Amino acid sequence: MNLLASIRRIPLTFRIPAMVALLMIVISAIISERVLSRLYETQRQHMAAVAGTYLDGLSMALVPAVLRGDIWETYDILDRTRSTYGALAPLETIVTGRDGRVLASSHPKSVAPLAELPEEYADRAPGQDGMKIDWDKRTGFGKRELVYQGRTVGAIHASFDISHLIAERREVLNTLLATNAVLATAFAVVGYLLARRMVQPVKTLADHMRSGTSATLLPIAVEEFPSREGEFAELFHGFNALVEAERERSALTLKLAEEEKLASLGRLASSMAHEINNPLGGLFNCIDTLKRHGQDEAVRQASLSLLERGLTGIRDVVRAALATYRPDRSGRALTLQDLDDVQLLVGPEIARRQQTLNWERCPDTPSLAALSGVAVRQALLNLVLNASAAAGDGGKVAVQSRVDPETCALVLSVGDNGPGLSNHALEVLVATEPAPASRIGNGLGLWMVRKMVDEAGGFIKVGTSDIAGALVEVHLPLKNPLEVNNAA
Amino acid sequence: MLPLQAAWAFNEVPANSGTLRFGLTPVFLSNDLEVLDELKMYLSNATGYDVQLVTQRTYQEVTALLVAGNLEAAWICGYPYRKFQDELALVATPEWRGKPLYQSYLIVGANRGATSFEDCRGDIHAFSDPDSNSGYLVTKAYLAERGLSEDAFFRKTFFTYGHRNVIRAVASGLANSGSVDGYVWEVMKTIEPELVSQTRVLVKSEWYGFPPIAAPARLTGTPLFERVRSAFLQMASDTLGRSLLNRLQLDGFVDAPPSTFDGIAANIELVRRLG
Repeated sequence: MNLLASIRRIPLTFRIPAMVALLMIVISAIISERVLSRLYETQRQHMAAVAGTYLDGLSMALVPAVLRGDIWETYDILDRTRSTYGALAPLETIVTGRDGRVLASSHPKSVAPLAELPEEYADRAPGQDGMKIDWDKRTGFGKRELVYQGRTVGAIHASFDISHLIAERREVLNTLLATNAVLATAFAVVGYLLARRMVQPVKTLADHMRSGTSATLLPIAVEEFPSREGEFAELFHGFNALVEAERERSALTLKLAEEEKLASLGRLASSMAHEINNPLGGLFNCIDTLKRHGQDEAVRQASLSLLERGLTGIRDVVRAALATYRPDRSGRALTLQDLDDVQLLVGPEIARRQQTLNWERCPDTPSLAALSGVAVRQALLNLVLNASAAAGDGGKVAVQSRVDPETCALVLSVGDNGPGLSNHALEVLVATEPAPASRIGNGLGLWMVRKMVDEAGGFIKVGTSDIAGALVEVHLPLKNPLEVNNAA
Repeated sequence: MLPLQAAWAFNEVPANSGTLRFGLTPVFLSNDLEVLDELKMYLSNATGYDVQLVTQRTYQEVTALLVAGNLEAAWICGYPYRKFQDELALVATPEWRGKPLYQSYLIVGANRGATSFEDCRGDIHAFSDPDSNSGYLVTKAYLAERGLSEDAFFRKTFFTYGHRNVIRAVASGLANSGSVDGYVWEVMKTIEPELVSQTRVLVKSEWYGFPPIAAPARLTGTPLFERVRSAFLQMASDTLGRSLLNRLQLDGFVDAPPSTFDGIAANIELVRRLG
């Protein structure tokens, strides 16, 4: 199973040529087997025919000598025919008499007259054509009965050198192997090229999709389209349409986010205008008092003190607003000041709704440098504004920032005494795969919170607050996870 | 020689007075056609007759033709000459190494460890011809003297009808030992050393009369007989004759007395008595 799985992991571009080559090897094995077995048969028949001629010629000459049991005459005939049948290459020829004993052989030193027929001849019962081939010993054996007047008077046993047949077979086998190897290689190469060509569009598509996960999704350029119209061209067109739609959605989301930002800015601005406007009346009164009773030292001191406090309040609000919306500071790290600024920014809104804000800030924290100041600020602002809206007039909002030493995370929790989070809001905050921004409609503020948390590698917990409403806890890691593990 | 050719030679040779029919046994190198050509040419030149060489496979056939008068002369073995002494006359006897004598050799394979004749007991033995002195009679007489027949002493014997064939049979291993003409063995040692070197001489016999040229006894004293006789005796003084003697490695032909063949006669007698 593992082997099968690992085979399946091999790219198509290699699997197809490998399969083609394998197929070629199987086919060539079958063809080679057929060719060789046909060749064996042909060689056998040829051998039998040639040996038959040799034995027939010999038997005609030998019958009179064998009939007389003439050792010399028999040997003389064998010795003389050895040179005339040179092409056949008889290794050894043995003539036996009526009693089955050797009368003479072409090599008397190995097979002497009157000896028993050597076992290697006696054991080999030749086939129907009088021929038996022993490929292992590179020898062919032939036997011919010597018949005179219908009676067997002896027999010729001959062994032939078949090295040339074996050499021919080896040559044919080598030719087959070489040809088939060349063919298999050629087919594999062609298969590889074809497969690569066919798979190329898939690879292009896969590359584009992969790049889309890490960076912006790009449409496939026209040059990369397959040359012919077909399934792949359609697929590419479809992919490009998808990319286009996704891009439009992203653009829309950005636009909506920007609009939301501006809307919250508008709300804040009006709150701030109110906040600034409230003390302005008092400040103008102070100026009037100074104009009329400026010479009175006590009055002057009291008015100036009043003016100073009023202007300080205005300056802090304006400074916090500036810090939030100055684009040139977007890259800086989070500081505790940012969290204080949020308190300041929501102050007017809280006051307008006559709500109670319970703000608990952690006394001090380790470095917050891992977190983006602008993003966290905006997210906290959104959460608090959301809680404020949910709490309603005269409601309660509780904000707490602390450091969880166990996970080494900054925890921002925002609670209210409102009716709790809607399903829609829950989905945006804690669902594994939140719906894209374009489909959010309202609640874009929470979507931006979720986006910030995801980007910072943190998570969101949702529960019920001490004051009976919703509680949203944002956990933001202060170090990268590896360092945390090491610390633990 | 093929039997058909021999038959042709036998049937077609006319018996007219101008033709010399000369028979040859395989006693010498009958396979050397050049020797035959030179012999024919020399005899034609020396006798003035139209010479017809007649070769047969066995000694017996040649002897029979000679005795029957179908040949004017023949080179036969001393054994048939003494067997048919009354019907045959000596023409001339070859001289080899200074004597009209030769030996019979008992040969074995070159690598064989045998040291005496007794070691050949149970052999497959090759004889040359039943009418050959050196290739049969000598060995048979040796055994007869010891109260043995060749079939009792040897496991098996066969005739090869040629001294060269005896050497081939022993060299190839077909026979374990063989009886061969010592002269032929020595001559062939120089002509076919690779064949002869596969054999070695185990026993050499006494000296016997060299196979002679014989003619039917009735021709004795006729001009034909005399011309043939002088042709052989004068061979050494003729250029072509010397070339022929050179090929045969003989010194010449001499007029040896019939007593030269007494040794063979004694063997014939021994075999008749004891064999």
